[in-house]
Amino acid sequence: MSVKTYELTKYFNKRCAVDHINLEVGNEIFGLLGPNGAGKTTTVLMLTTLLKPSMGEAYVCGFDVLKEAKKVRNVISYVPQDMAVDIKLTGRENVLLFAKLYGVADRKNKVDEVLELMGLSERADDRVNSYSGGMRRRLELAQALVHEPQVLFLDEPTLGLDVSARRKMWEHISSLKKKGVTIFITTHYMDEADKFCDRVAIIDRGKIVAMDSPAKLKNSIGKDVITASVSGEFKGLNIEGITFLGREIDNIKFTAESGSEALPLLSEALSRQGLKVHSLSVREPSLDDVFLQKVGTQEEQGSFDDYKFRTLLRRRK
Amino acid sequence: MKGVQYYFERDLKRWIRSKRAVFASLVMPAAWLIFVGLALPIRFTNNYLDFITPGILVMTMLFASLQGGTLLIFDKILGFLNKFLALPVPRESILFGKILFITFRGLLQSTVVLGVAVLLGVKINYFTTIPFTYLVLFIFGILFSGIATTIALLVDDYDSYAAINSMASMPLFFTSSALMPYEVMPHWLRIMASLNPVSYAIDTVRGLFAGTFLLNGITVLIAMALVVLMISVYVFRKATV
Ligand SMILES: Nc1ncnc2c1ncn2[C@@H]1O[C@H](COP(=O)(O)OP(=O)(O)OP(=O)(O)O)[C@@H](O)[C@H]1O
Ligand SMILES: [Mg+2]
Repeated sequence: MSVKTYELTKYFNKRCAVDHINLEVGNEIFGLLGPNGAGKTTTVLMLTTLLKPSMGEAYVCGFDVLKEAKKVRNVISYVPQDMAVDIKLTGRENVLLFAKLYGVADRKNKVDEVLELMGLSERADDRVNSYSGGMRRRLELAQALVHEPQVLFLDEPTLGLDVSARRKMWEHISSLKKKGVTIFITTHYMDEADKFCDRVAIIDRGKIVAMDSPAKLKNSIGKDVITASVSGEFKGLNIEGITFLGREIDNIKFTAESGSEALPLLSEALSRQGLKVHSLSVREPSLDDVFLQKVGTQEEQGSFDDYKFRTLLRRRK
Repeated sequence: MKGVQYYFERDLKRWIRSKRAVFASLVMPAAWLIFVGLALPIRFTNNYLDFITPGILVMTMLFASLQGGTLLIFDKILGFLNKFLALPVPRESILFGKILFITFRGLLQSTVVLGVAVLLGVKINYFTTIPFTYLVLFIFGILFSGIATTIALLVDDYDSYAAINSMASMPLFFTSSALMPYEVMPHWLRIMASLNPVSYAIDTVRGLFAGTFLLNGITVLIAMALVVLMISVYVFRKATV
């Protein structure tokens, strides 16, 4: 087991940020998904020996994060949520610093190698303040990889990147897994997790509400998802074989075993309630739907300012 | 030990590459010396420039050290500290690297002050005074950058740090023996000045300039620096799990 936790818990004063979670992560890409403030970062900080758990235990590669912290640090790399690279230094200098700090043997070559791997060779000797957000992220990944970690912790590595930069990031992550690195990643982009993670856990208000492979999670909520775009007040519904999944503003979602059979029934029932139905559509479930079912509407949980602040910081750099 | 060196080099590189900051930090202390030593209309002693030079030297170190705490604050706010703490090098290297760099930068600034003082005709015995002056300034720098980094570990944002810094630095300087000899001080100031650690450094350097070696002053400074370093390490360990 690369990562294992027993009832891992963190309180900040009275507020419980991480609530008795049990995780087992093998050699895979493991995604921790959750809305803002769910406790993803707090979990990662405890696993990377940066925060002391209030209760419970955690092991990384068999080492206790509290009692054998130094050994844990020897086998992991950690890329935090805030992009922290020295903009006055060049890309190569940034990576070289980490190579030195990790005590990498064949420094020069290894630095060249990871820069090449991350597609940064050409710009390696430019100062980082001329790098784009995507390049800075890849530079951080290069720093993390320069010592060949067994477990790589990535906290929202694709936050704020455009579509192609995100895809590139995921390609790198997938190729790392092929080399045998375990990847523990947090994100709130469901589609990415669906496509690239072997297993995901959904965390909400500190609790793990679901954990499995994306495919199994999607199967668990039903065969088809029906989205009804309506206006008016929805009062609930009771039709056999159709389950209410959740509501996102004017879209009401249902699951059903057979979407095509459910459509006419739904249309009629909703009209009877006095709702104006604009459109109905059927599709296969996505992780978003699983999320909607387990967590409810994705309301902000008080950390909006926090998020805004981070984005601000990033812009300032 | 290696870790200390790497963190030191990182800070040094980052500093050297902001040309304006380097220029300002090297020019400002010298400007103070000229302003206070030559331009100010008050004179507390006959050769005021000779008298004030040790004061400005120590002041340079004092301000440089307290200002240096912001380096750690920003490492903390911007996420660098967490990244470094997750590395296998001994964590204290981060702290020692910072303290050493802040002190080193202060010594560079002091060198400019010394150079300007010599140009202005302050008499210095090169072989004995200068090495010991550097020694005293070094210990004093360790003392106050130790204090600065400890405060930086305890507060969470830049504004609080800046507030503490400005509340501490000016009063520390003006209640020291930097500007006037003890004899001309009002009674209350004399008491404050004789308790102020900044005065210890100033008096010791002033002694060196006059050709006497005040073992007492140095011993007290070393003792205080050691205590502060221990507190700093303790706070660092507390603050980082
Ligand atoms: N140092 C702290 N002191 C007090 N409360 C904290 C601290 N760090 C986090 N919290 C709280 O713990 C909860 C979990 O925060 P955490 O940063 O782990 O969330 P997250 O899932 O990473 O969210 P995001 O997607 O916004 O990064 C939040 O309610 C947050 O306000
Ligand atoms: Mg987070």
